[in-house]
Amino acid sequence: MGRQVAIASAGFSEHASKRSDVSMPELVSEAIEDCLKNAPSVELGDIDAFVNGNMPAFEGSNIPELWMTDWMGARNKPLLRVTTGGTTGGTVAISGYYTVAAGLPGVDTVLAVAFEQQSQGDTSVGLASVAYGEISILNTLGIPYDQISRLLSAGAAIGVAAYQATTYMNKTKIKEEDLARVVVQNRRNAAKTWWAHLKMPNLTIEEVLDTPYVQYPLRYGMVCPASDGVCAMLFTTEEKAKNMCDIPVYVNGVASVANESAVLGYDGSGSAQVDPSMQLGAIRSSELAYKQAGISFPRKEIDYAEVYAPFPNQQLLWTEKLGLFEEGTAPAMHEAGVTDFNGELPVNCSGGVNATNAIGASAMERPAEAALQIMGKASNQVPKTVHTAIGSGWGGSLNLITLMAMSDQPKRQWR
Amino acid sequence: MIILIIIKNEIIMSEEKVIVANKGLVRADFAFWVGQYLDKFYDGLENKKIRGNKCSKCGDVFVPPRKICGKCNVVIPLEENWVDLPETGTIMNFTTTPYRVNDRSSRKTKDWTIGMIQIDGSNTSIIYRLLNMEPEDVKIGMKVKIEWNENTKGDPSDIKGFTKV
Amino acid sequence: MQKVGIVGYYQVKLYSDANYGRYEMIFEASRGALDKAGLKKKDISTVISCTNDYYDGRTISNCFTVEVGGGYMADESKVEMDGAHAVLYGLMRVLSGNHNLAVVWGGSMPSCYPYHTVRLYETDPTWERSLAYVNDITSAGFQMRAYMEKYGVTAEEIAKVAVKNKKNAAKNPLALKEAQLANLTIKDVLDSGTYADPVTELMVAPPCDGVAALLLAPEKQALKITDKPVWITGVGYNQDPYYLGDRDLSGCKSMNLAAKMAYGGAGITDPYSEIDVAELFESYAHEELIFAEELGFADKGKGAEINSVINGDLAINPSGGALGGNPPCATGLIRVIEAVKQLTGEAGQYQVKGAKRAVASGQIGMCAQNNILYVLEGN
Repeated sequence: MGRQVAIASAGFSEHASKRSDVSMPELVSEAIEDCLKNAPSVELGDIDAFVNGNMPAFEGSNIPELWMTDWMGARNKPLLRVTTGGTTGGTVAISGYYTVAAGLPGVDTVLAVAFEQQSQGDTSVGLASVAYGEISILNTLGIPYDQISRLLSAGAAIGVAAYQATTYMNKTKIKEEDLARVVVQNRRNAAKTWWAHLKMPNLTIEEVLDTPYVQYPLRYGMVCPASDGVCAMLFTTEEKAKNMCDIPVYVNGVASVANESAVLGYDGSGSAQVDPSMQLGAIRSSELAYKQAGISFPRKEIDYAEVYAPFPNQQLLWTEKLGLFEEGTAPAMHEAGVTDFNGELPVNCSGGVNATNAIGASAMERPAEAALQIMGKASNQVPKTVHTAIGSGWGGSLNLITLMAMSDQPKRQWR
Repeated sequence: MIILIIIKNEIIMSEEKVIVANKGLVRADFAFWVGQYLDKFYDGLENKKIRGNKCSKCGDVFVPPRKICGKCNVVIPLEENWVDLPETGTIMNFTTTPYRVNDRSSRKTKDWTIGMIQIDGSNTSIIYRLLNMEPEDVKIGMKVKIEWNENTKGDPSDIKGFTKV
Repeated sequence: MQKVGIVGYYQVKLYSDANYGRYEMIFEASRGALDKAGLKKKDISTVISCTNDYYDGRTISNCFTVEVGGGYMADESKVEMDGAHAVLYGLMRVLSGNHNLAVVWGGSMPSCYPYHTVRLYETDPTWERSLAYVNDITSAGFQMRAYMEKYGVTAEEIAKVAVKNKKNAAKNPLALKEAQLANLTIKDVLDSGTYADPVTELMVAPPCDGVAALLLAPEKQALKITDKPVWITGVGYNQDPYYLGDRDLSGCKSMNLAAKMAYGGAGITDPYSEIDVAELFESYAHEELIFAEELGFADKGKGAEINSVINGDLAINPSGGALGGNPPCATGLIRVIEAVKQLTGEAGQYQVKGAKRAVASGQIGMCAQNNILYVLEGN
């Protein structure tokens, strides 16, 4: 059977809209330095294997982990590359977990690195290229490209997420103010997170609403930035973790269940996922991960959550789909302060993806921040003691999800 | 750098007949941050000088300079251990090929010879054209020197290639 | 390491320009592997795909392949290296105890993208890429020359490998038609035109369209699915430094270390006598010799002396290897499948008699920067 896996440390590089002072490998080495700084007994030479990932369309570099071998300290070490678009960070973290859990001889300590230097490329071209093939088929039916991209907006870009927002708003009857309230909470939290991008300690709902629409209901003030940044996590065995940190964080459940691509479908053939706010993949992922982690009542048993929400409607959506709140109740919970910094179930106190989005890294930053909260080492550490936390990721054509359930006790059991 | 994407759509029926074809070009430009170490190196190239840096642990000298020594896993501080190197080097390896590759396509044309050259005093190789040499005359171990471009810009093309010493 | 078995597989026939789309190909492979094992969609616990955004010309290349690969509502992920690396991730997921049946599939269609240009995007954009003197073509030339210079191996000895593999490919119905050359001679190979001196065109594994899939299951389930599971008894993977000047191109340290890791897991101490057949992903004919030496089948520089034909002392690439067709993201996965076929007796005309233990390798990067090696044993 597999073995318990613990997170011994997590680290970040500084995130900004342009990290023009460093090349991509140098940016990656910053996060690795920070990660190892938080586990001072570990040196780069102690790492047995590496996992690496980003979303390669943004930097114009294919399989860049080859180029940055030395900067990662991975020379003549085992290295695996995992990339899944927007969920890359989450899948890299999950594969870091699996690399340790597999128990290959000599592979006990694994460094997982997820990164993005979006300023090097063109973010909207990178995102739109998700579905050029599918869109082009509609060209043949006489629909011009820019009309398609406005109507359907393929890929993980704002367009399809806007559909997700409108269907959710329709179900829950929330208004734009409710979305703006989430944004304000995120960006004020980001101001207390050293590595975050959009630090706005005095942001107000009015300021958010006073920006033009990108695509209804999402306004410029509501959408995530494009950031350069890197996250690194150190995974190891239960025994070794105890020597590396005071509070090892055990990975008790992982899942990344995929749905079919939303709305457009492949080859433009249409999709049964017509309501992108249903997110069956998220529901199934949480079933799997919570079962592994022995969590029966997520609402009660989870103390802290980092959910992947580049757009504010998603923070509300995921807290429901991932079982933290009943369907349709997240807005009320949010308004009542349940997810505040000093609430019962704080959410995204790092500022979340809404304040910092280096796409390749952001899905790893969620479990990383959640782990740091359990360790008591987060930048914006919540007042309550966090025993159990989750970190989620989302991406693809609204169809990819990652979820990691962690706690300060090793709870993973196998029948 | 440009990624060329041709969106081509063909609906093929029973005989191979193009019904609709839709061609387009999507432009994707990339601009790469070279980082501060390479920045200094390129400043050197602009002045027709080769500068590398040295790992204080193992003594290896890198051209171009690097932040991290891969063998030792140590950081070479930005302001330290810079080494001025000569324009001469040794051919460590070479190949002759008719192929040219760029960021849009590849094609076959006249032969050219590319060498891996170790600049004297450094521990790694840089890869450039061997100029004014017949492929049959190239030997591993030959001494060569840089031929600079007349107008240097502070980028890799400042070195035009290497010629026999 | 607990036992994980390969219980099914499928490879589509390789074409230089396949007359069908990527989704059909992926479905054919994934469905074919399930059908071969007599399993259904609901039996799938996890799916690992292997595609490359630059090869597919789209980012998040796995998001639209979820359904056709069998991943709908399954716990899935994607490796962006060689298909053989995706097998590793599938293996890890089964070893963790979180999953039972894993589907691993990978492939791409080079007929749809400019292969050498896309390989150029692997290079360092801050230094080497703009001049493009380093690319997958010139690096082949550097590697072959380094190997020949160090050990005095001749071009004829290397061409002999190409002849062997293309002849083997002629016995493999799934190999690329243009690579199936039953009457190829050494002279033909040497005269086939300069690729990057001293490499000639016929020494190069030809990129082609293809997808392959295989199934992994933990021991108990594997024995229920088939009476011929092939056990993965060892795996090793390793990555060399990036810059060609940082490596000794006459050898392959990453393959050497991957082999040490894999042999250690499998308890192999004398590879030449303990291994019956090797399926190695050789991007060029000379790489097969370099790898054979690093795998311990011969001393350094003596790889050409191994009798590596189909029923020789140690058959290498009886299927034709990558010289029989190189569908990027599938090639290493196909090497694993071909090794499995040898151990289950399903290799038809290129069967190595009595094969009990095999190795299979995959690679990624210029001059095989990252290598992965499996040790496989028949039941």
